[in-house]
Amino acid sequence: MSEKPGASVPGRLARLIVASAATAWAAAASAATDAERIDALEKQVSQLEARSPARQDEGLPLHGFMDVNAGYRNNGGPRGFALGNLDFYLTPRIGDRIKGLIELNFEINESGGLDTDLERMQIGYVFGDAATVWAGRFHSPWGYWNTAYHHGQQIQTTVTRPKFLEFEDRGGIIPAHTVGLWGTGAIPAGAGKLTYDLFTGNSQRIDLDGGTPGSGTLNPNTASATNHRALLGFNLGYLFPGALDGLKVGVHGYTATIDDDAAPSNSTRVRFAGGYLVYLESDWEVLAEYYDFDNLDLSGDSGTHRSKAGYLQVGKTFGRWTPYARGEKASLDQTDAYFAQQENGGSYDRAVAGLRFDLDPRAALKLEANHTRFTDRVVSAYSEVRLQWAIRF
Amino acid sequence: MLPIAFSCLAEELVIAHPSVNISKEDVRDVYLGEKQFAEGIKLVPVDNASVQELFLSRVLKMSAAKYETAWIKKSFRDGLVAPSTRSGDAETIEFVRRTPGAVGYVAAAKPPAGVVVITKF
Repeated sequence: MSEKPGASVPGRLARLIVASAATAWAAAASAATDAERIDALEKQVSQLEARSPARQDEGLPLHGFMDVNAGYRNNGGPRGFALGNLDFYLTPRIGDRIKGLIELNFEINESGGLDTDLERMQIGYVFGDAATVWAGRFHSPWGYWNTAYHHGQQIQTTVTRPKFLEFEDRGGIIPAHTVGLWGTGAIPAGAGKLTYDLFTGNSQRIDLDGGTPGSGTLNPNTASATNHRALLGFNLGYLFPGALDGLKVGVHGYTATIDDDAAPSNSTRVRFAGGYLVYLESDWEVLAEYYDFDNLDLSGDSGTHRSKAGYLQVGKTFGRWTPYARGEKASLDQTDAYFAQQENGGSYDRAVAGLRFDLDPRAALKLEANHTRFTDRVVSAYSEVRLQWAIRF
Repeated sequence: MLPIAFSCLAEELVIAHPSVNISKEDVRDVYLGEKQFAEGIKLVPVDNASVQELFLSRVLKMSAAKYETAWIKKSFRDGLVAPSTRSGDAETIEFVRRTPGAVGYVAAAKPPAGVVVITKF
């Protein structure tokens, strides 16, 4: 665009006008081309989006819980520091309707060894909000505590579970795990919701320690139903709406044929029914469960045996502090082989009081005291103080 | 001045992909994992970090900490996955517009194109 020296002003002006017009025409033509290209690109993007909706699978997060503990028991029992649980769980999804739940737990046993449990391994198919069917090993869905908290120490207000609801290898007297099928769902009922759980699976068994009477622990029979018997169970609950939001009441039941490995073997038709109440609203936590056993001796002639167990726990949160208390009691018939053969099958009552402080929504410090009294097989008592630091991640 | 003027005009909306047919009464259940399907379509709730606190307090009546705890319990018991979180309104709108079954919430001066408005909050 350099000017020739000596060119006239009108001539230079004419050339400038022509050059400007040419530039404007070229720009207009270019703009039209760009607009068309943008339109075409937009159409292509729309078509690609329609073919491939936004990606929902954003990886597989690993969640978990862990806790460390310290305690003092006045009867010569455990004292000092102890590792609690290290619990990992995964929730893989395969499409909209198939999902999995995998939970792996590491814990230190009383002799200091490391125990590893494949706590849950279940695959589910979701038919809709009203029905999901799970297959595999799952937390037995009786009552409330066992499925709500289980190894989730940080989401459980207290340090301890009710003693009779402990895990099988920690002295629990009701099978905490089932290997089989579980149907669950919620159905609108009035303004609230009816929830249900129906489950079946391998009847559990009792393993005695070296055949010693009264030394047994429950075994979920994860590999197979060793006595070829199935268990059946149900849990029906109602979630209240409106002013009673947070309140759930329910009934539950279970029946199984459970054998031990004594010689000769004891076989018991274990049957319990009961109910529960849960209120978790307005910073209150009220939990209550009741179990009424009606067991039948199948291998002997001792007939039926009635036993019962239950607890009531109340807590109230004030900011980051939650004081709580729990009372629990188990009256277990010692002429019933199902309880008599279990190491922790004796009757007891326990009073618990504690204080929880939430350092963070994901970390809690808990101080808890309990007094436990055994009332039949061995009459004794002890008091205990426990401190726990529990986190989730 | 512009952001102030915009925020005065903005409304908080619960929005959904056009494939979703739910009522405003369903929104709480959707965000607490109690309602996973609507007319056979898997619902995909998504949180919006820029208005999450407002949404939780107005619609779910809970704090962010309680919301997180509720989802931990739900995930631990039922194997559900908590809603993913988008950073702001534009990202939320884009996700909801493009994802069948998606439900989200935004602050917007007018209903965004390509989505349906379930309710204001």
